[in-house]
Amino acid sequence: MFQPEPAAYLQVSTGYAIPHGLPDYTFDETPLRLSDGRGSAEAGPGGNSAGALLFGTPIFSTNNANVGPAQPASNSFNFHATPSNTTSAPTTSTISAPSHHRPSLPLLLKMEPNAHDLVAQEAAAREYQIQPQGALVSKKTLSTAITEEYAKADPVYVQKTSVLPQTYSHYRQIQGDGNCGWRAIGFGYFEMLIKSGSNALVESERRRFELLNDYIVRVGGMPSMVLQDFVDETLALLDTLARLIDNPEQAAAELFEAFNTQDISNSIMYHFRLLASSYLKGNSELYGAFVTADMGIEGYCQSVLERHNVEIDHLGLTLLVNILLKPAGFVLEVAYLDRSPGVEVNTYRFPDEANERHPSELGPVIHLLYRPDHYDILYHPEPVTLQVHRVSSFTQNYEIESAPVALHSFGAVDMQSLSLIPGFGGPPPGLGPMLDTSSSPLTTYSPSSASSWVPSSFSEPIQQAPPPPMPVPTPAPAPQTHPLRFSEYCQLSEYVDNNTWREPTFQTTTFKNSHFNVAHYNNPNFQPEEYKPGAEDHESPPRAGGRKRGSI
Amino acid sequence: MSSQKRIAKELVECTASPPTGITVSLPNDSDVHKWHVVLDGPEGTAYAGGRFGLVVSLPIEYPFKAPAVTFATRIYHPNVTNDSLGSICLGLLKSENWKPSTRLLSVLEAVRNLLAEPQPDDPLEARIADEYRRDRREFDKNARSYVARYAKGPVKFDAPRGEPAAGEREGNGGDGGGASGGRA
Repeated sequence: MFQPEPAAYLQVSTGYAIPHGLPDYTFDETPLRLSDGRGSAEAGPGGNSAGALLFGTPIFSTNNANVGPAQPASNSFNFHATPSNTTSAPTTSTISAPSHHRPSLPLLLKMEPNAHDLVAQEAAAREYQIQPQGALVSKKTLSTAITEEYAKADPVYVQKTSVLPQTYSHYRQIQGDGNCGWRAIGFGYFEMLIKSGSNALVESERRRFELLNDYIVRVGGMPSMVLQDFVDETLALLDTLARLIDNPEQAAAELFEAFNTQDISNSIMYHFRLLASSYLKGNSELYGAFVTADMGIEGYCQSVLERHNVEIDHLGLTLLVNILLKPAGFVLEVAYLDRSPGVEVNTYRFPDEANERHPSELGPVIHLLYRPDHYDILYHPEPVTLQVHRVSSFTQNYEIESAPVALHSFGAVDMQSLSLIPGFGGPPPGLGPMLDTSSSPLTTYSPSSASSWVPSSFSEPIQQAPPPPMPVPTPAPAPQTHPLRFSEYCQLSEYVDNNTWREPTFQTTTFKNSHFNVAHYNNPNFQPEEYKPGAEDHESPPRAGGRKRGSI
Repeated sequence: MSSQKRIAKELVECTASPPTGITVSLPNDSDVHKWHVVLDGPEGTAYAGGRFGLVVSLPIEYPFKAPAVTFATRIYHPNVTNDSLGSICLGLLKSENWKPSTRLLSVLEAVRNLLAEPQPDDPLEARIADEYRRDRREFDKNARSYVARYAKGPVKFDAPRGEPAAGEREGNGGDGGGASGGRA
């Protein structure tokens, strides 16, 4: 907007000198011009006072002999564009700086080019349309990309986006063309239908849409001739999904394709817009109050809901959820990424009543990420397909004699997957007896009768199901070189009851912190606690915290 | 695909039961995205007796983008540019107002309405709008002379209009150039 002719300002700005022995100094043009233009404009009628206002300091007041035109020798500002002025400045020390004859000059020169520029700029702004980038609906990507995107942003954003991937592992970008909210909900809706895997649900939704046509015509006042084109695309997509209900991957591909085809995607969006607009007209007494007064319901429908490329707002979201998602049993949850205080994104569920309910009773939830004026789809991490059988109690009374064989055997079992479970750094020795495998040559340590250290640490022993193919020909676990330190307690007779070893039912948090828990053997950074007499008097805070946690 | 389907439907609607004073035809049968429309000047207005050619261009994205409607016949009107482009200022068609549910039939009727009731408060030709407000008789006279010069006889839709070329050059020189030609 501010695009003055450089010369106009530089003319005025020259000729001043700061009396203190500043070295030759070259100004950056822009800021000075700006302040100069303003200062002169204000001081226009004041003549001499231009300088005072301009710099706001008394050294430029009249009759101050120190202030004078630039003295080229040492104390002058050099302005890029007008070296001649500076060099030719008189050496008198009066205030009659060249500037005070033309305090209003920059104003005139400023307006002239700007008036023309403004018209051109306005015209350009009217015509300007942002070319949206990327596909209408992008592929699912890791939500850590959002964290990276905001890495240099405001600390609030950094904080919120850094914890975002913990809750939502993936997200899907929607093109910011003004329909993103509509498109995101629409896409999420169809995705949920695919995910439901229920032909009955898809069929009932299709019937519902057909019935709603009448509603749009009757209540929404839409000519059915126009409406049918939009609805046809929705119904066609539903038919495709119904056909592929047993093939979710193919169905998802078809959905992706449809939503990235301009005609189809926009038609479905417009169908949903008409649904929302009709719903508003049909429930005007409920929602009328949310429409700004000067627009009115009709105006709101005309200028917001029924126009293409106009973003969904809170009211639109509520309307769409009520007519599209709620009857299908879907819930919409929006995560708001904004600068509001907090460490996590705020979430809000639609319909409103879903907010008070526990997530487990909500049914399918579509997650959206809201950033000011834009919506994307978020996804919770997929449930891990690995099926885990939790064994609540072992069959006990292992014969201690069987231990050697059992301990040999674990080398043969591929327990790589177990290492994924926290605490299972390596093959757990205790699992050996459970897996009925042949013995292996791996004998890193030969357990003696005193090997009652066979840990009972795994309070919830976990077995993978289905079990891995039992006889793995080439045992591949890393050599078991954990430095095992045997505690004297392990050999106490009360724990070794002759040859029979009973698993203590150590299920408590206390046990997790006890020496019977050998999980820390797998921790390379494990540092045993040292006993220091008198150290308890001044315990360090972390220690106290740890104790506190343990006691809860 | 979808846009052609919709346009075909609307074409049928406009040709099967044409609204008063509006005749729609396709210059090229294989291209439904370009329509030629002949508009009869509404009775009781300065444009009565004139036949105005309109070119309707439907974008590929139609109905999600507004159609472009221009006058192929020169017309002396506050809301139509007084040049060879013949751009129309019609609220319905502005991209910030366009709704995909709007039908072309209503667009054409709105254009015809504009002839009956010019909108001098939202003008494209400020001088003509001014004249319309201040000196209605002068305006009517000019409008009629334009009708007599350009809107009689067979309607031409092609952009290069031989006869008004001189007037165009005149018009480019100043805002009222074309108008003064009409007055003379």
